[in-house]
Amino acid sequence: MKKNSEGEIRVKVTEHILVPRHEVLAPEEIEEVLKRYNAKIDQFPYILSTDPVVKEIGAKPGDLIKIIRKSATAGETIFFRYVVEE
Amino acid sequence: MYLEESVKTIDSIKFTVFSPNQIRKYSVAEITTPETYDEDGIPIQGGLMDNRLGTLEPGQKCATCGNTTARCPGHYGHIELAEPVLHIAFVKVIYKLLLSICRVCGRLLISEAELESYRKRFTNECTFTPKCKEEIPKEMMAKAKKIKICPHCGKQQYEIEFTKPTIFHEITEEGGAIRLLPIAIRERFERIPDIDLKLLGFDPRSARPEWFILQVLPVPPLSVRPSITLESGIRSEDDLTHKLVDILRVNQRVRESKASGTPPLIVQDLVDLLQYHVTTYFDNEVSGIPQAHHRSGRPLKTISQRLKGKEGRFRGSLSGKRVDFSSRTVISPDPSLDISEVGVPLEVAKKVTVAEKVSSWNQGFLKNLVINGPSKYPGANYIIRPDGVKIRLDYVSDKETFANTLAPGFVVERHLMNGDIVIFNRQPSLHRMSIMAHYVKVLPFRTFRLHPAVCPPYNADFDGDEMNLHVPQSEEARSEALTLMKVQQQILSPRYGGPIIGAIRDFITAAYLLTKPETLLIKEEFSNLALAGGYNGPLPKPEINEPRELYTGIQLFSLFLPKDFNYTMTSKWTKSSGKGASVRDIMIKDGKLLSGSIDRAAIGAEEPDSVLHRIAKDYGIDVARNFLNSILSILKSFITKYGFSYGYDGLILDEEAKKMIDNEIKNSYRKIKESIDQFNQGTLKTVRGLSLEETLEFYIVNELAGARDRVGRTADKAFPLDNSGVVMARTGARGSSLNIGQMTAALGQQSVRGKRIEKGYHGRALSHFSLWDRTPDAKGFIRSNYRDGLNPTEFFFHAIGGREGLVDTAVRTQQSGYMQRRLINALEHLKVEYDLTVRDPFGNIVEFLYGEDGVDPAKSDHGKAVNVEHLVEIEALVNKSEKPVEEKQLEKIVNKYEGQLNIKLIQDLKASLLKIPLNVSGNKNVCRKVVEQLDRATIEPGEACGVVAAQSIGEPGTQMTLRTFHFAGVKERDVTLGLPRLIELVDARKQPSTPSMDIYLDDEHRSSEESALKIAKEILLTKVSDLVGYSEISYGERGYEINLFLDQEALQERDSSPEQIVKAISLKSGKRKVEVDEEGAISVTMEGADFSTLSVLKDKIMSMRVKGVPGIDHITIIKKGDEWMMQTAGSNLAKVLKIPGVDLSHTTTNNIYEIETALGIEAARAAHIKEIMSTLDEQGLEVDIRHILLVADLMTSKGFFQSIGRHGIAGQKPSVLARAAFEITVPTLVEASVKGEVEELKGVTENVIVGLPIPVGTGMIDLFMKSDKSD
Repeated sequence: MKKNSEGEIRVKVTEHILVPRHEVLAPEEIEEVLKRYNAKIDQFPYILSTDPVVKEIGAKPGDLIKIIRKSATAGETIFFRYVVEE
Repeated sequence: MYLEESVKTIDSIKFTVFSPNQIRKYSVAEITTPETYDEDGIPIQGGLMDNRLGTLEPGQKCATCGNTTARCPGHYGHIELAEPVLHIAFVKVIYKLLLSICRVCGRLLISEAELESYRKRFTNECTFTPKCKEEIPKEMMAKAKKIKICPHCGKQQYEIEFTKPTIFHEITEEGGAIRLLPIAIRERFERIPDIDLKLLGFDPRSARPEWFILQVLPVPPLSVRPSITLESGIRSEDDLTHKLVDILRVNQRVRESKASGTPPLIVQDLVDLLQYHVTTYFDNEVSGIPQAHHRSGRPLKTISQRLKGKEGRFRGSLSGKRVDFSSRTVISPDPSLDISEVGVPLEVAKKVTVAEKVSSWNQGFLKNLVINGPSKYPGANYIIRPDGVKIRLDYVSDKETFANTLAPGFVVERHLMNGDIVIFNRQPSLHRMSIMAHYVKVLPFRTFRLHPAVCPPYNADFDGDEMNLHVPQSEEARSEALTLMKVQQQILSPRYGGPIIGAIRDFITAAYLLTKPETLLIKEEFSNLALAGGYNGPLPKPEINEPRELYTGIQLFSLFLPKDFNYTMTSKWTKSSGKGASVRDIMIKDGKLLSGSIDRAAIGAEEPDSVLHRIAKDYGIDVARNFLNSILSILKSFITKYGFSYGYDGLILDEEAKKMIDNEIKNSYRKIKESIDQFNQGTLKTVRGLSLEETLEFYIVNELAGARDRVGRTADKAFPLDNSGVVMARTGARGSSLNIGQMTAALGQQSVRGKRIEKGYHGRALSHFSLWDRTPDAKGFIRSNYRDGLNPTEFFFHAIGGREGLVDTAVRTQQSGYMQRRLINALEHLKVEYDLTVRDPFGNIVEFLYGEDGVDPAKSDHGKAVNVEHLVEIEALVNKSEKPVEEKQLEKIVNKYEGQLNIKLIQDLKASLLKIPLNVSGNKNVCRKVVEQLDRATIEPGEACGVVAAQSIGEPGTQMTLRTFHFAGVKERDVTLGLPRLIELVDARKQPSTPSMDIYLDDEHRSSEESALKIAKEILLTKVSDLVGYSEISYGERGYEINLFLDQEALQERDSSPEQIVKAISLKSGKRKVEVDEEGAISVTMEGADFSTLSVLKDKIMSMRVKGVPGIDHITIIKKGDEWMMQTAGSNLAKVLKIPGVDLSHTTTNNIYEIETALGIEAARAAHIKEIMSTLDEQGLEVDIRHILLVADLMTSKGFFQSIGRHGIAGQKPSVLARAAFEITVPTLVEASVKGEVEELKGVTENVIVGLPIPVGTGMIDLFMKSDKSD
């Protein structure tokens, strides 16, 4: 739990059970992912730059975020989202 | 017949607006006179029926193209309007443009520098700004609207006033309103430069704004507005023709009056009339102007009405195709058919035909058919010669000689025959099993016959249902039907991965009666029944030899099980006798039924994890079909001979049971009377959160529900186990023990909206009761049963309750139907690609691996990719091991498969293999089989997973209850459930109708109720009104003042102080003064305020927040496990998470939008899936999670929640036709033409509309060629 300048509690959203792990991909990794799915980056699902998790992990528009979700069918699964401006 | 034209396929469609010049160019005739025909009935040249516009009568030739009706496409004419008028569809666009451009120079009212920056943003190649790019035109228009002086020419701008539907005024500085005539608007629009238009989202080459003002009106060809000749010989013209006549008349008058120098005011009136007629010609439902009517009083159906709505051009004519070779009649059951057969009446078989090409192999066969001709079955109706000439055999007199001319290359349209494949369908087609391929069996009489076991997928019964039959005409169609649509291929439903076809009703009764241990058969019976099932092996040894040879029914059943089949499960009988699901009474080993009776749980329809399901999964669909066919036909023969009936005598209870029932009810009545007395005396103890009256009601309802259950059980127990009703209820064949109770004991409480019946008269439900009578009898409790009959008041109550059921069903079908339509529309274009990603036709990724594990729910094992546990059990039987593998070695074996199997399967494998230890080869075998089965369960590329998902969620919607409210654990907290909640979720509403939170507490606070209560007080919203006992406005020396007298008890309960209230009121107080006097009363004064201002202020103060979280209206503290937590009514996640003491990682809400803003899109997606699943679970409906994942992934794919419907996904589709066909037809077309949009025909609806194969499934296959890069 962190407090901001006014002493108000700042909620750390990534600690919530509903929030899966988000990771910003490095440019080489993006290249690799794009090749694997044979798609342009704007064909990936989006995530808004104003999304609380994006803000918390400090991702910028143009980044690709790798999301490691818990899955009811596969145990764990990987998803990608492309950070876009709102 | 061959077409002379070369075959062309539509590549794309561009939408544009015609310029006046284009209209003139495409016109073949200028229409000038309102007269249509002369006295001889000949069309007048230059009239609306001018023969240059096309022809109507078959013999006639078109004056333009020389073709007859069949070939002439029709040609446009035009009308030169005497005065320009506005096109009603573009009025909104015109208004927006007027607001944002300069009235003098026509430039956008934004400075050049800013324009330049917008232009840069517009052309910016950056791909991470898709959302804000769309916003540019809107943003600019909003900005331009406010600017008063043109930054380009420096001229003053005036306000524009728009009077709906077509009048614009300019408000000049001097205060005068000057009418902006269409001609003036046109002039302004001509000055707008192309570069500015482009910024506003217009395509100036497709649509210059001045074209929105009509100078020339196109006149549609005759084929668009054909006139019809009535029987009396009177010609009746089309609505459009009528409207065009009106336009021409007024147009003529305007022209004449202009020429003759009539005062401008009168001319303007005429022009307005012309505007009215042109407006109604395009759209006769514009608000603000009267509708144009036909002579008979019926409103005219003009262009907009032709396109719009369910019966309009888009949905009615273009998306809905009509077909030949189809048939419809009533259905009736025939259990002697194969489940994959359909009985077709002879009459139908002689009408719908199959085109068969003559070859040397079938020449003789077809010759005989031709000789038989159309009337003798089996025969043929038509012959198509190789030169394309079609000969109707009715007209051939000497068929014998004619048949001899038959040679290879001819096509014979022969009658439908046994073994042909046909497609059978029952509406509403809610899921893919509503349309299946059957083999034809031609039968006498006039109904379609189908096996009762295929009723569940069609949702058919035989109370007069009709079904449709289609005969595929091409080899491709037939082979697709055979490989994809056969009944046995649909046994396993994609909704939950279990069988949807299986035994129903009497088959289940029969199965139980046959396989109960007491059933013995003599040799003749046994062999007869075995033969009925198609058994042709040796007879087994009889179970009993003395005094005579007797076989058991169990032996008979076992004959048809696969020889190496092993399975254990719980029968429905055991489950419903309350022995619990842990007893696995049905045991099958090596294809022999060892114990337990077969009933619904084993072979029933819609029963996953049953014997039938296992056979279908482990041995394949054809074995399952044969098994079902054999078993069902045995059961049919068996129960026919055995005899089974249920009647009045099956409902008679013994005296003792009757007495018990009577006593039970009397007892409850007595208890209730006591409570009512207590209530009247005021001594009734209230339940927390309920008022006194609610408490009484709550108590009575509970007591009566309990009484009904108890008497039902008493009755149920009183019947012997061989009572037909009990047999049916316990085996799951039909009915429930509740039904038996209602028939023999008491019907129970009738309800309206979940409450006892109250309405009717003032203070009472029926006039037979006294005012405010709260006794069970007066409020709809029925203590009689169906056997003895109801007394008159009970009868009325029963009718009231029954009516609610009927209304509910009617409303529900509508709501769920619409939800299904929206779901299908939103998801139809999604398909699985070759890399198992799910994408839309533009290549946008929705899911990276279908269902997160790539498994097709229809091929899954009740949702699981592979049923590992079952595999291990089977392996253990085959591979009995003395040397079980140690855990370490097991890990090593399993871990080798990590690359091929997902985490869940690896975990499942380890767990199952640990539970049942196997040796090394056994372990390896299991692992290998898992990989193999996973491969088989993997979804196929091209699968229309979107449609399947939409159907799998939409279809159960029809079965949901509409009941909105339901107690969910806590009494104070009503939560919306069922269909309304599901609709709310797919709508992605920002505010659910019953928001609610689950608040968990951190380590310090969760252990005791006191600490939980302390936090609850911080969270619960406390308003001033909650703490004030009495308030007034008094007049004293300081003028009027508000006096608030605090409620001390409330203060304590809410843990707040007067200071807090003062602080709350003083916040942003401005002129008011707040003081506290010695007694703790608060007074508020405001200088110079009169009574009425203070009265308003008082109300405002009362609703002010003192403490707590806004939105949280109610909190209940409950103990969950050994921790304390809270459930609330009202929700505010972001604020609650900021309260100290709240567990930040577990606290959730059912308001998905709040989760989205507070925790992000991924958390919202997870919560959304959870909510949908729990809504469906609560209703007892099984839907595979993969379908819901897909819906959630699609809804969140743009980074924020898009709703399923016109405001969300359907409205954002790139395809113009798909959008137009969904809901907002006309505005969509207008927008498309203004922007010059191009329809690329990549989705499903678009291709259906233009008549091309759809790009999913088998339609996805296409030829690609690598082109040389240098080209």
